[in-house]
Amino acid sequence: MTQADTTLNFVSGDEKAVKTVPVSGQVNRVGTGLINPNQKLKFSFNGKEMTGFAGDTLASALLANGQRLVGRSFKYHRPRGILTAGSEEPNALVELRGGAAQEPNTRATVTELFDGLEAKSQNHRGSLNFDVMAITDFASPFLTAGFYYKTFMWPKAFWEKLYEPIIRKAAGLGSLSMKEDPDSYDKGFLHCDLLVIGAGPSGLTAALAAARSGARVILADEDFLPGGRLNAEALEVGGQSGSQWAANAVAELTSMDNVRLMTRTTVYGAYDHGVYGALERRTDHLAKSEGKPRQILWRIYSKRAVLAAGSTERPIAFGNNDRPGIMLAGAVRTYVNRFGVVPGKEMAVFTNNDDGWQTALDLQNAGVDLMAVIDSRDVDAPVSLPGVRHLRGQGIVNTIGRKGVKAVETTGGVTLPVDAVAVSGGWNPNVHLTCHQRGRPVWREEINAFVPGGALPVGMAVAGAANGAMTLAAALAEGQAVADAQLTDLGFTPVAADLPEASDEPSKGAAFWHVKESKSRAWLDQQNDVTVKDVKQSFQEGFRSVEHLKRYTTLGMATDQGKTANIPALAIMSELTGRPIQDTGTTIFRPPYTPVPIGAFGGRSRGKDFRPTRLTPSHKWAEANGASFVNVGNWLRAEWYTKPGEKGWRDSVDREALATRTSVGICDVTTLGKIDIKGKDAGAFLDKVYSNTFSTLKVGKVRYGLMLREDGICYDDGTTARLEDDHYVMTTTTANAVLVYRRLEFARQCLWPGLDVHLISTTDGWAQFAVAGPNSRNLLRKVVDDGFDISNEAFPFMACGKVTVFGGTPARLFRISFSGELAFEIAVPARFGNSMIEGLMKAGEEFDAIPYGTEALGVMRIEKGHCTANELTGQTTAHNIGLGKMVSQKKECIGNVLSQREEMIREDDVKLVGLRPVDRSLGLIAGSHFIGKGADATMANDQGWMTSVAWSPNLGHSIGLGFVKSGDTRKGEILRAVSPVHGTEMDVEIVSAHFVDPEGERLRG
Amino acid sequence: MVEFTLVSAPPLAGYSETFGTVRLTAPKDMAIVNMAIPLGADAKALKAVKTGYGVDLPEPGMSVETKKGATRLVRLAPDQAFAIFTLPTPDAEEVVAKHVKKALYLTDQTDVWVGLEISGAGALAALERVCPIDLHPAAFAVGGAARTVMEHLGVLIIRTGDECYLLLSASSSATSFLHMMETSIKNVL
Amino acid sequence: MIIEHPLLGPRDAAEFVYLGDASLIDRPDWQAEDAAERFYEYGYLRDNPAGEHQELWYHEQGDRSWLVVTRNTMSHEITKVELARDVAKARGRNT
Repeated sequence: MTQADTTLNFVSGDEKAVKTVPVSGQVNRVGTGLINPNQKLKFSFNGKEMTGFAGDTLASALLANGQRLVGRSFKYHRPRGILTAGSEEPNALVELRGGAAQEPNTRATVTELFDGLEAKSQNHRGSLNFDVMAITDFASPFLTAGFYYKTFMWPKAFWEKLYEPIIRKAAGLGSLSMKEDPDSYDKGFLHCDLLVIGAGPSGLTAALAAARSGARVILADEDFLPGGRLNAEALEVGGQSGSQWAANAVAELTSMDNVRLMTRTTVYGAYDHGVYGALERRTDHLAKSEGKPRQILWRIYSKRAVLAAGSTERPIAFGNNDRPGIMLAGAVRTYVNRFGVVPGKEMAVFTNNDDGWQTALDLQNAGVDLMAVIDSRDVDAPVSLPGVRHLRGQGIVNTIGRKGVKAVETTGGVTLPVDAVAVSGGWNPNVHLTCHQRGRPVWREEINAFVPGGALPVGMAVAGAANGAMTLAAALAEGQAVADAQLTDLGFTPVAADLPEASDEPSKGAAFWHVKESKSRAWLDQQNDVTVKDVKQSFQEGFRSVEHLKRYTTLGMATDQGKTANIPALAIMSELTGRPIQDTGTTIFRPPYTPVPIGAFGGRSRGKDFRPTRLTPSHKWAEANGASFVNVGNWLRAEWYTKPGEKGWRDSVDREALATRTSVGICDVTTLGKIDIKGKDAGAFLDKVYSNTFSTLKVGKVRYGLMLREDGICYDDGTTARLEDDHYVMTTTTANAVLVYRRLEFARQCLWPGLDVHLISTTDGWAQFAVAGPNSRNLLRKVVDDGFDISNEAFPFMACGKVTVFGGTPARLFRISFSGELAFEIAVPARFGNSMIEGLMKAGEEFDAIPYGTEALGVMRIEKGHCTANELTGQTTAHNIGLGKMVSQKKECIGNVLSQREEMIREDDVKLVGLRPVDRSLGLIAGSHFIGKGADATMANDQGWMTSVAWSPNLGHSIGLGFVKSGDTRKGEILRAVSPVHGTEMDVEIVSAHFVDPEGERLRG
Repeated sequence: MVEFTLVSAPPLAGYSETFGTVRLTAPKDMAIVNMAIPLGADAKALKAVKTGYGVDLPEPGMSVETKKGATRLVRLAPDQAFAIFTLPTPDAEEVVAKHVKKALYLTDQTDVWVGLEISGAGALAALERVCPIDLHPAAFAVGGAARTVMEHLGVLIIRTGDECYLLLSASSSATSFLHMMETSIKNVL
Repeated sequence: MIIEHPLLGPRDAAEFVYLGDASLIDRPDWQAEDAAERFYEYGYLRDNPAGEHQELWYHEQGDRSWLVVTRNTMSHEITKVELARDVAKARGRNT
């Protein structure tokens, strides 16, 4: 090894002196490019220690270290190397990091090198060098397109159990850690006048023009170093190196308040009305995230956008064109000019266009031995390269070297020994985002590529290479011009600015897609292992549209979405069908442009943060007093309170239900929706939204209300109190609080806008407690301030009013009962809620008052035959639950017209009844269907179903509610309750739904 | 009567934290009253506000402070506004009634909401992570007010100063609301 | 999508809840001779045009206003946004 192999000389920017740094192992490092040679980084690949520099990507560092073989292919386990230098990479996918943070399928070409980075290659059993699965490559004649569809179809049951798992294991990509992602993710929202996507030459001139005009600008680029191809080319801009010009432009933009420069940010989708999705990688380039979000998913609201996404080079298909060391020519220039790395020491260039010659020139300047430039065209060299062999009108027909290219053979019979090849098949404008709203690209003959066409997303314009402006000078000019037009459109005055001088480099090319003379497999989609032969087979079997081609061969369906593969493949299909490429078309580009982790879409919404949690005002007290909580929507409600010695939930629930019925129980019912309704027409409004009448309700009274949908089906129910002439308070069920409010606003604004009525939710404002049981009044007498008479005479059943409690705190008292006992609900401002339950419990000490939860509440409501969502399912009529008479036909109200449809008021329809097991020791099962004695348990014989069941501690047996055909007239009848799901059957008796106190004497007492 | 005194304990009461340059505080004793303008009686209602508070009710999406800065009036919709002021006792509705008499329908909203005030350099960056509204100083002037959704929570955001924002959200989800704000701040610092 | 609220300016569609055809404003006369038939049509028969559509959106995470949004269902282009209250009044609903 010579001295030059182990050290690197560079000119230090500050000291203008030549410095030398050791680069042992970096055999292909020939310059400093734009890396920082003062910052050496250690990393490992498959456990092997290597070094690189700050500014390297993993790919450039691997190449610097002479690592050509980086992975195995998806299907055939072919040895593969690095093909590109960007996000379009199909081959160099690695697993990064370890443990729970292991990240599969990371493209080495966009992975920023950091100190301590650990990378592993993927998709091989055994070592990367000796992959036992490589046998599939030799079986390849059987494994062509459609193989799986044809072979593993029979027997059908084998697919899921046998074939699919084996195939999955044999093929495939990186592996998941199967552990919870230790990183956090975030989202965010940004607004701008102009979004510039891509910070290459056209993106920079666009952003400069916009920024100087005073517009709010966001400039986003997926790379960590803005500049795009300016950092990859040896071309000059304005008399300085392209990269230096880019750095100066970035410095100017960074200094301006109205510009937000976002590096490491991929704009992955264009959505309606100027909304863009972007993924910013915040800590992927750091050894540790230090608790900060790894990535941020941005929603960018733009008034206008300039897409300056550049272009992607495409390969040419030829025999064994997938060997490690065969790279795209533009990528080779990136490695040479930006990273100071050459892919090999002896190289050939194969091109169908002028641009490939630029690579040859840069390689020669980097000191690489250029064996030949092979040009498919029979044209003179567009770039002067003295001493370099020019093979005119030839192509590479085959390559040699299994784990790395060793030689190439040309159609002219020339064999060239090489360790790397640069291939250029021309450049494709990156039109992806222009198609996200179904714009269809159009074929432009002069550049042999698709350019944006059809209707672009609203507000988007395209500039530079993405728009087919394929030279540097054209890209710089177009960026500025397009931005100026967008700004003028927005009412800004563009600032006249001279464009920096740059050259129109030669850019002619030919429509040459594959070397037809090749006998060996010629690869198109290297990530999904699709070859020219597969495209031909697809054509022969009739899968000729691009959409069929894609699905039959899996072309472009890998994580790279065929960025390098699709156009050559469809061009070949176009040759086969004889239809022009324009008519062959492209498949539809959809977001995301590059992969976005699911974690980023999830953002913070993980685990308990999946949705907000709502706590009742007495939550703290409940927690301290043994409550078990249940999710009710976003609410956490106490379901029961466990006392010492209780062995299971039933012990607690039975005790709570019994204690309430024998003395007094307290339950936090804050979660029920409360809507404050005010206005001189409030009563008239309620008449319209409830099926029964509220305008006649007296001040100081409460009424049960039933709400219908317009189709006549029951929607919601609750009580509404009239506190003043023009002031009602409506309660809704917990689940429907938001929905009822929405419907009321609809009625108020859209149906009856002439009524003076105003709504506002007060659900969270009042801590409301049910105080139920024979001692409830006695308890409340110790709570409600003197001067408020709550005797049965002064404050009868269904009374309500404003009171004060505990010496002057304002409260509302309602005499309503869900339990069927003498009961009240008392509400205080929520801030007093936790204290209020303490006060109520203290006042209740002498009555052995207990708190009860939602389960005991449920038991007691079933004992009283009250409906909840189990009964009001969205298919239930008022008629079904015995409330048909509540639906007034004497006034206008939602649902009353359609509620009278024949099928909805049938006498023999199901009716709500109570049910009890004939054998009282049995437990009823909800969901059981009722079948007559001796009849088969079929739907034809179905007579109804059980909606709710509970163990009644008051009756000492199981009870149920259910719907039975004509059930209201069948009390005493015995039916069979059959549950095929549970495999059970038992005799049940139809009884009144009011199991406890059927005459309602208690609640009026 | 039982010997017992009710203790007022609004969620987040007394909360105040500083994270670098960002300060997050739950305003003390913040009272809120909803004011609804009766149908067809706009002129009378607007005049009552002007007479009672000395300022005009602003347009929807804006708020205004009364002369002495004692009350902030926030116009939420053509027929709806909030009066936000400081009051330790639970009689906010009566206090507003003294200003506007019976010209508007009043509903106490104090306990429905919980407030967090975020201020200082970095407040905007933290809000960027959760707030879909354009809060750029030119787009959201001091006094600007908007109801929107942040991390699934309904939030009313009011710009009360150069780098100062008052956010109101439902009191029952105060814990989630605080978690959202703290996370946003920690994520950007 | 962005909905240009007539009072509050551009707002993300995420703040809104969608209901459907703005013909839901035109609730039939409950006392009409053929009320049952007309309510049936009102409740169940609605156009579903591929193109311009007037539809109801509710600004639930906003000012609680119902809006009538004229939107092209093919392109999502929104050409008009009105307060539903104003539309309802203009259509003669003033009780």
